[in-house]
Amino acid sequence: MQISINNFTKTFDGTPVIDDMNLTIRDGEMLALLGPSGCGKSTTLFTISGIHRMDRGQLMFGDRDVSGLPSQKRNVGVVFQNYALYPHMNVFENIAFPLTVRKDNKADIDREVRAIAALTHISELLERRPGQLSGGQQQRVALARALVRKPDVLLLDEPLANLDAKLRLEMRSEIRRIQLETGITAVLVTHDQVEAMSMCDRIAIMKKGEIVQIDTPADMYSNPRTSFVAGFLGNPPISFLSGIAMENSFSVAPIKLRVPLGVHEGIADGTQLKLGVRPEHFGPEGDIAVEGKIAFAETQGRENLYDVALADGSVLRSIQPAGRNWALGEPVRWFIDSKSAFVFSNDGQRL
Amino acid sequence: MRTSSPYRANLLGLAFMTPAMVLLLGFFFLPVVLTSVFAFTNMSTATGISGGSYVVTGNLLRSLTDEGLDAKTIKALRQSSYIIDQAGLEKARTAGVDAKFITEIGERLKDRSFTSSSAFERELKTLPSRPTRVRDLKIAASAFEQSVLNVRYASRGEMEAALSHMLENPPQGAVEQIATASYTGWTWTTENFKNLVIAPDTWRIVGNTVFYVVLTLAFNVLVGLFLAITTFYLPSAGSGFFSILWLLPRITPVVLYAVMWKWFTWEDGFVFNIAQDLGLPAFNYMKGSVASAWTVVILVNGFVGASFGMILFSGALKAIPVQQLWASEVDGASRWQQIRYIILPHMRWPILFVTSYQTLSLLSSYEQIWLTTNGGPGSTTTVWALEAFKTALNNYTGNLQYGLGAAMALILVAVGLVLSIVYLRLFRFDEMMSKPKIEF
Ligand SMILES: Nc1ncnc2c1ncn2[C@@H]1O[C@H](COP(=O)(O)OP(=O)(O)OP(=O)(O)O)[C@@H](O)[C@H]1O
Ligand SMILES: [Mg+2]
Repeated sequence: MQISINNFTKTFDGTPVIDDMNLTIRDGEMLALLGPSGCGKSTTLFTISGIHRMDRGQLMFGDRDVSGLPSQKRNVGVVFQNYALYPHMNVFENIAFPLTVRKDNKADIDREVRAIAALTHISELLERRPGQLSGGQQQRVALARALVRKPDVLLLDEPLANLDAKLRLEMRSEIRRIQLETGITAVLVTHDQVEAMSMCDRIAIMKKGEIVQIDTPADMYSNPRTSFVAGFLGNPPISFLSGIAMENSFSVAPIKLRVPLGVHEGIADGTQLKLGVRPEHFGPEGDIAVEGKIAFAETQGRENLYDVALADGSVLRSIQPAGRNWALGEPVRWFIDSKSAFVFSNDGQRL
Repeated sequence: MRTSSPYRANLLGLAFMTPAMVLLLGFFFLPVVLTSVFAFTNMSTATGISGGSYVVTGNLLRSLTDEGLDAKTIKALRQSSYIIDQAGLEKARTAGVDAKFITEIGERLKDRSFTSSSAFERELKTLPSRPTRVRDLKIAASAFEQSVLNVRYASRGEMEAALSHMLENPPQGAVEQIATASYTGWTWTTENFKNLVIAPDTWRIVGNTVFYVVLTLAFNVLVGLFLAITTFYLPSAGSGFFSILWLLPRITPVVLYAVMWKWFTWEDGFVFNIAQDLGLPAFNYMKGSVASAWTVVILVNGFVGASFGMILFSGALKAIPVQQLWASEVDGASRWQQIRYIILPHMRWPILFVTSYQTLSLLSSYEQIWLTTNGGPGSTTTVWALEAFKTALNNYTGNLQYGLGAAMALILVAVGLVLSIVYLRLFRFDEMMSKPKIEF
């Protein structure tokens, strides 16, 4: 089911948290809400579920306006960040809860619960209490509870935040598998870009209550609309150089660096600009030479990570396959791949 | 923790427990022990709480007659006799009777006895040195008077000696029986419990108590829960005001609170006037009818307990993680289902606590009843604790029966203990308390 949020505004105690947001989540898609802490991700999610009400705006499930409906009537499944399992009920009762309050008959409940437990691989845990489960098991119970009554929408609020690295990897593909199998429309809140990129069809990047860009992970990575988005995606992150426009080039005078602006011709000379260079686009090969010294080196096994300090003190990050290893302090003459570099105006807009 | 010895942990545990143990001993066991001791005595104002002496009184003679002691012995005990012996002569001397006269009495009447004062005085008047004034004659005569009636003997032996002296050929066992009955101090006895079982009043009071405790408790818990849950759902601005409002019964001094209720329910009081204006029966609701008296008693105590319950329940409600409430709403639970499936299970422990605590305090509380209906009309709203209090400590007749009162209190303690155990079982307290959350 398609979800659209139109002109959504939310204020807490006079402080605007979300201002005039528009967002459409397509039917059957999994959308990531990605952004730094406090940017309003949970608020958006809770508004879709009906826990928070909109101050202004409209929320559509398909072509049904649900803005005024209480959460009970929205048929959404939510997995909370801390799972919010009911501690006094065992796993079976927890999962059965949405059906119990709907007064389904016993046999149906039993069948549905067992089916969803099988899907989430927790069939052998049904008698346990939440207190007797590991974090990953609790997370699956929460997921099963959210899915059991076949909701129109599945909302996940940082469901993997409490898990260790290995379990997180496992659960990532698990959740994606279940989402694809059930074909449910899902929203995943996270501040982990890897999670967002690996699990979701599209990513919406939020900043201070606004959606900055919404795109597929690949497009978002290769075509960021602002320096904020470019900085948020990618690990190791992109590095920025500050300079000015000079004769259709990006120029950093002190180090005599000149990067042709190519398509962005006609920018007035002297305009402040920023150049974004991803680590994979800076190294021994390329077209624009830059001289500097290795200021930081880290080996990650398959790849090595380098920070190169330029003569004016700015730093470019680089990632290189292991093999030829550069030592700390070693002077290098490396190259920027000018066609892959992003040019931003000084306020962060992509040119 | 592997390195430290297990004893260390145990000692630490013991150290933690010590204050609790001391308090338990001082404020629980000691009163219970004392109550148990008193319960098996017949202590009262009359017996005093220290030892007593041996006195035959008019009242005692009457009750001895009832117990079937023969009339001749009773008559003998009632009588005074005059025996001229060495002791009598000594006594006369110290009373300041003329020495010559005493010598004459000793010489002429030695070892004679008289059964009435007139016969003895007539005899005395025949003596040459008799005093001229009748009053002096009577003083001399009284020195030889011997009677056990209203004479205080310090020990049983003295009492028995005096009785044997008084009674010629007393029936078998009579001396012992009289001596035992004449003891004015307290004795060990199980009579208190026997009397309680036989007395028809006891069972009425038991009925009253059960009625009172069950209804008041239900009011406490239900109204407390209701208030806590409604204020929980209310916007916070209003809830603060209402919380304080409902706390008033708890924080108002008992006496003031009782006076307020009097003003509220008595003749010309608030309810009285409203009822009158509406044309409803208007009377002293506190004491005017059994039904209204009970209503007042239950409400008076009910609101105190309800505000106590509300504080506890409100605290417990605030401790429920809000995500669980959100989750339940998203899961489709209505308000009522949310209360039933999420809130009430979280309230199990506070409900157990309020129920058991209130049962016990209601069982043993009487102040509010005492200050309002005082157990009336008649004794219709008299509960066990009030009766025990009146029996032992606050009695119109002035004879406070500590022993009987203690027996009643002891029964209350026993009932309380049994109830506590039942409650713990019922709520599976052990399960809740099984493992300490912090491991040593
Ligand atoms: N109930 C509330 N009352 C007042 N302010 C709130 C409330 N809930 C959230 N906020 C504020 O709204 C802003 C957005 O909060 P939100 O929980 O949506 O952040 P988030 O993006 O989920 O952050 P995180 O990643 O840390 O969970 C924050 O500045 C927060 O302080
Ligand atoms: Mg959040």
